[in-house]
Amino acid sequence: MMESNNLEKQEFTPKSRLHAILDGRRVDRPACICPGGMMNMVTDGLQKEAGVGLPEAHTDARKMADLAEAVIKDGIFENCGVPFCMTVEAEAMGAKITLGNNLFEPHVVEYAMSDVDNYAELKPIDLESGRAKVVLDAIKILKDEVKDAPIIGNLTGPVSTAASLVDPEKFYMQLRRKNENAHKVMDFVTEQLIKFGVAQVEAGADVITIADPSGTGEILGPKYFTEFAVDYINKLTDALHEAGAEVIVHICGQMKYVYDQLKDVRSDALSFDAIVSLREARKHLPGRVLMGNVSTFAVELTDPDNVDSLTRKCVDNGADIVSPACGLGMGSPLPNVRAILKAVRSTPVSEE
Amino acid sequence: MARSKEELIAAMGNAVLEMEDEEAAALAEEYVEAGYDAMEGLTEGLAKGMNRAGELYEEKEYFIPELLLCSDAFYGAVDVLRPHIQKKTDSGEQMTAVIGVVEGDTHDIGKNILKIMLETEGFDVYDLGKDVPTQNFIDAAREHNADFIGMSTLMTTTMIKMSEIIQELKNNGLRDRVVVMVGGGPISEAYADKIGADGYEPDAASAARRARELVLAHRS
Repeated sequence: MMESNNLEKQEFTPKSRLHAILDGRRVDRPACICPGGMMNMVTDGLQKEAGVGLPEAHTDARKMADLAEAVIKDGIFENCGVPFCMTVEAEAMGAKITLGNNLFEPHVVEYAMSDVDNYAELKPIDLESGRAKVVLDAIKILKDEVKDAPIIGNLTGPVSTAASLVDPEKFYMQLRRKNENAHKVMDFVTEQLIKFGVAQVEAGADVITIADPSGTGEILGPKYFTEFAVDYINKLTDALHEAGAEVIVHICGQMKYVYDQLKDVRSDALSFDAIVSLREARKHLPGRVLMGNVSTFAVELTDPDNVDSLTRKCVDNGADIVSPACGLGMGSPLPNVRAILKAVRSTPVSEE
Repeated sequence: MARSKEELIAAMGNAVLEMEDEEAAALAEEYVEAGYDAMEGLTEGLAKGMNRAGELYEEKEYFIPELLLCSDAFYGAVDVLRPHIQKKTDSGEQMTAVIGVVEGDTHDIGKNILKIMLETEGFDVYDLGKDVPTQNFIDAAREHNADFIGMSTLMTTTMIKMSEIIQELKNNGLRDRVVVMVGGGPISEAYADKIGADGYEPDAASAARRARELVLAHRS
């Protein structure tokens, strides 16, 4: 719930609105964003409209910036965000990936190490080469060219990055069996993410979203969720705050086992996937800025009317920031995607 | 003093449940060296431990790391017992499953849990892995004379592959011989019906139970 000072009569830009919301101030209506990264907003339709395609834009800063700008020019969401996948960090640290195509996202095809014991084999992220540099250059371009919309940089969360560097099943087992070295991996990964994240802020990102789909309470259970997800996300969040950015943390899956642990996450907003009831989340997390959670299955598979009513429900349920609940399926029809922002703009916000 | 069969059986089950992989394997060694019946060690000891682990997972006492560790201890000890198990001759109970994540998708945690759950329900499971081409499902179904095919995807873009696999089973004359179930985030009962699958369940534990029911019903 936001501070109940009087609704400011100022005109908000998408950027000032998002900042105000993340600061916990009251605004005219929810912001409507899709951050990028794991929560990718680039669909096949958008690539066609923008005349810029994937996978090319994954490796070319100018094209990456063009696609990100097409999102605001086209009135799809109220932010620019890069990159459009969650493999940049793992690739830079030694995993082999495939870049996919216009319909399939990049994914890891070969892990960087066979066991957490081999943590010393991991490479530090080189900010001067590869796709890390592409992302930073794209943010600089956006900083120059985009004024009214927030620029969102993205990081793959520490557990998810680690689970892209070593087979996730093995990693989950080694959290217990090789606890000490699992922490060494997490320390290294988090340090690298801090470096990459701070560089994104310095390049011009206003907000950083951390998405950690492999580090959910549903997968890890409360104990390991605290030990491996929350603690490292907080280290990362603190460093990004210090660098001057606001931070959104997205966690997938059910929250009912870990609401207590979530209270400790020090981000400016918490984002949930479609399985979570925002109304229930609100009860467990009073005072927190909540983001979510229009079903991406519905966006891909149903129609604008259905997306409209789902979006209105999100607003009614108290979403401070409306967003797709996950990355958009790249086959999602543009009219369905556009229906989200349209609905947010036309839904009256109840005074509470 | 040597431990009794019952003591060892109970200890093996406990070692699986407590995620003690080395202990489970060592107990299995001791068990076969004492000349006890390997099949009984598997069904009464290890499998009961794994079954209890599955229950704790459903009750949310255990989560994925614990369940994977139990499964690892289970398989390690099964490897010790397996060479000593008398081949059943005309057992009507043997059920064979082929499972995998369809082509284009690499999200396999749910499938991996299904594998464990199917084992606890008494299936021999052939796991084709993730990002599995359609033809591999067909080949494996034929080669292993599968009773059951389970396929999953977490992505809307790859759902279509499920329908393709069912069509290919038909084209190869295999569809009537197997029970087909589908699962994963975007899948629903309605979708299962639409593409001609035999069943859908929202989670791995209920899917494995339903698989057993469907296979047994299909046989009778």
